[in-house]
Amino acid sequence: MVQAAITRGREARRGGGFQQHKLAPYAFISPFYVLFAFFFLAPSLIALVLSLFRWDGINDPRFVLARNYGRLLSDKVFAQAATNTAIYAIASLLIVLPLALVLAVLLNAKSLRFSNVWRAMYFTPVVTSTVAVTLVFQIVYNRDTGLLNAPLIYLGMEPIYWLGDRSWIKVAIIILIAWRSTGLLTIYFLAGLQSIPEELYEAASIDGASMLQKFFRITIPMLRPIILFVSIIVLLGSIQIFDEIHILTSGTGGPANASMSVVQYLYERGYTRLRLGFASAVGTVLFATVFILSLLQLQWYGVFRNAD
Amino acid sequence: MDERTGRRLGVIALHVVVISGALLTVAPIAFMIYSSFKTTTEIFTLPPWLPPAEWSFKNYETLLTSWHFPYWYANSIIYAAVVTIFVLFFCSLAGFAFAKYYFRGKNLLFIILIGSTMIPFQLILIPLFILMSRIDWVNHPASMIIPWMAPAFGIFLMRQYIQAVPSELMESARIDGASEFRIYAQVIVPLVRPGLTTLAILTFLGSWNSFIWPLMVLRGNEVITLPVGIATMRSQATASQIPYGEMMAAATLVSVPVILLFLMLQRYFISGLTIGAVKG
Repeated sequence: MVQAAITRGREARRGGGFQQHKLAPYAFISPFYVLFAFFFLAPSLIALVLSLFRWDGINDPRFVLARNYGRLLSDKVFAQAATNTAIYAIASLLIVLPLALVLAVLLNAKSLRFSNVWRAMYFTPVVTSTVAVTLVFQIVYNRDTGLLNAPLIYLGMEPIYWLGDRSWIKVAIIILIAWRSTGLLTIYFLAGLQSIPEELYEAASIDGASMLQKFFRITIPMLRPIILFVSIIVLLGSIQIFDEIHILTSGTGGPANASMSVVQYLYERGYTRLRLGFASAVGTVLFATVFILSLLQLQWYGVFRNAD
Repeated sequence: MDERTGRRLGVIALHVVVISGALLTVAPIAFMIYSSFKTTTEIFTLPPWLPPAEWSFKNYETLLTSWHFPYWYANSIIYAAVVTIFVLFFCSLAGFAFAKYYFRGKNLLFIILIGSTMIPFQLILIPLFILMSRIDWVNHPASMIIPWMAPAFGIFLMRQYIQAVPSELMESARIDGASEFRIYAQVIVPLVRPGLTTLAILTFLGSWNSFIWPLMVLRGNEVITLPVGIATMRSQATASQIPYGEMMAAATLVSVPVILLFLMLQRYFISGLTIGAVKG
């Protein structure tokens, strides 16, 4: 109280000081809003408008109403890309997420020695350049000399055509996604595990609960909010996947679009073929999907509740 | 089998599983470094685990002399460093305003800030590229820096850190007649160094590893970044053979320094990733 009164007095004496106090926060936050308006909001609106036009970037744009959307929905390659993306998302949810959860529990075990060393090893893929590591996987997946096929060849078995078969290419990409993202998800789960009170496990031990019982009756229920949060992160990441597939398939999304993702489809139509209006329609559909998922995520974050 | 033996077996099994998984995780990186010492022909010779006939730095030499690799490296460092400096400044400033001031429209502005994270970059990929070509920023370093100088995520992160600074410190500085900006620079900034370090690592790494945007806006060996340069080595090769040996050397040089940096600053990196998850 007294301090506030002194502050007011000082400000009054300095003259303009009070004004500065009031205007300063606006000045401090303005860079974000200026950049946001110019480089994000304006392009987003342009994309929405452009999705109603046919434009190659050179000739005059032609208004086609919702025809881009109509053609998009009936396009076989888009259907393929959307299916592939859904496969990546579901595989991440059903394989990578449980793997990361189990790994987090193992890394959190008190009887584990040198835990920090193993953790660091599991986290390295998170910081490794996707381009660099995807090139290594290209060699590892090679049909005739790759690390994965070499044992099969020596055993006299038929080598797997990882990068040339319509089904195996998806497996190859899912392995790569698992390698890239398990560590990241483990970081989130480890943070969540710290928040579970130790007493719960101690009480369960006294009652004679087994490891598995503790995992399913304590760990999973206590981690539910984190599991939801991670699920949404996984979905958002899967929807936007591009780098791995682009490099692994040498920019083709092949064989015969069998591995193409939605973002790769957007890149190919918009950037390579300069069908700017059509690509904007793809972007808008992506936006609608991500928007809904993000709303779920924000609800979990609770940021609307504590803006102050 | 008594209970103690059972428990000991459990601990051994735990170690076997954790360590094999850890080795499997670093195996591709180890294989990348290993292969960088082989010729391209050796890389595609059975068995792939056979060591090179001669351990040599030939791939690294060729990479540095016959390719524009040093340019790509310098470009990546410059873009990442410059963008990081701006991000640290703008995000901490805005995070400070959201954490410590009450002003008209704050809630609405904060909702816009968080809402902006809902715009997937892919939606604006094409129109932002059109914008870049209209203002002549295609093939210009500005396209790698200016749009990315004040990410909403960074502001949110800094707000979390600055909220933990006691407001009394600000008040006493104000009584001493400090301007609002001086309070930021001399009171807040020194107290949130861990937050700034975290943000710096995440930003630098994001810029360093970014791919689709520089792939679109940058052309020509004088301006492209490392990941784009490495990805285009396939098509830029003059020899009939795709130079995988040199590509492995390049992959090693792009990832190993970053991994070492991560090992040193792991704590900051992980706190930055989990701050939203834990405080939510």
